Amino acid sequence: MSDDAARPLTGIETEVPPLELVAVHAAYGGIEVLHGIDLAVASGEVVALLGANGAGKSTTVKVCAGLLRPTAGALRVAGHDVTGAPSHELARVGVCTVPEGRGVFPNLTVRENLWMATQVTGDLAALEEAAYARFPRLGERRTQLAGTMSGGEQQMLAMSRALVTDPAVLLLDELSMGLAPIIVQQLYEIVAQIAHEGISILVVEQFAQAVLGIADRAAIMVNGEITRVGTPAEMQSELSSAYLGG
Amino acid sequence: MNDRIERLKSDAAELKVGKGAGRDGLYQTLGAVAMGVGVVMAFAAYQLSLAKDDTRDIASLQILAISMLALAVVGAAVFLRYSLARFLRFWLLRQLYEGQAHIDQVVAALGDRDDNGAPSSDRSRTAPLS
Repeated sequence: MSDDAARPLTGIETEVPPLELVAVHAAYGGIEVLHGIDLAVASGEVVALLGANGAGKSTTVKVCAGLLRPTAGALRVAGHDVTGAPSHELARVGVCTVPEGRGVFPNLTVRENLWMATQVTGDLAALEEAAYARFPRLGERRTQLAGTMSGGEQQMLAMSRALVTDPAVLLLDELSMGLAPIIVQQLYEIVAQIAHEGISILVVEQFAQAVLGIADRAAIMVNGEITRVGTPAEMQSELSSAYLGG
Repeated sequence: MNDRIERLKSDAAELKVGKGAGRDGLYQTLGAVAMGVGVVMAFAAYQLSLAKDDTRDIASLQILAISMLALAVVGAAVFLRYSLARFLRFWLLRQLYEGQAHIDQVVAALGDRDDNGAPSSDRSRTAPLS
């Protein structure tokens, strides 16, 4: 990929990006799945990482979150090389992940799930107030077991739990997984609001149309490589070949 | 938000990189090595003590043998502690995963019953991009 593609395009190019991947290679055992990823997410920017199943999108998120150590290349946070830092340390400094499958505790209530995050923030009342203000539905279901809520509500809870940790970078893995299109649209509207607050967001998404409406930039992954980076409008024509291999 | 970015910069600068990731494996290996060395050295010291005539030499070698036995016990404890931590971490993840899968099945079944066999709209997948 060219240097131009790796650089943010949203008018903050001189700023050190909160999250940056530089020539990252990653492997599961002997099988290399990322072959030199270059990507930067600027402050307050939404970058959509698109691609077909098995392209390496979720692996890229794992590298960003510190769950998978790159075999080569560097992960930089605010310009500092943090390659190899454990995931809990990255979360502590402000790189938070909403994993594929949401990762809420199904046998705990909404409140109890939020309480889990108080280990970081400490103030339960403020935490709940902020979460319910952003997602009023969660307030209505505060005493309900998370596992019995709808997929959309669980996703809201997962996002709330990440947001109460005051992240600087938010990694969203397959937000639309298992959700109806209208729910996905509502969730991405909230993601856009979060980005306006200045949080940098990297969204991994298989269903491109769901996220292109709110993304500042989009990158297409094919077979462990980023083949194209550009604005959502520029990406439209590239998507069919990326998904269909044409 | 500039404050948050500044905080991110300072926190990232202080991040300890690459120290914690393989620590469990390192301690596990050290424990295994201490256990092996302790057993071998204890046996060797005891065997040597049998060939000595001077009681002071015998006492010294037997003290060494007991010390090596202690090293083997400590090594075994360290090895067990880090082996169990790895295993229990994996077991906990598996329990969480299976619990989530079970609850998903129950919720899906309840949704199906409510809708008289029709799948819940909130759980249908979005259509892939054409």
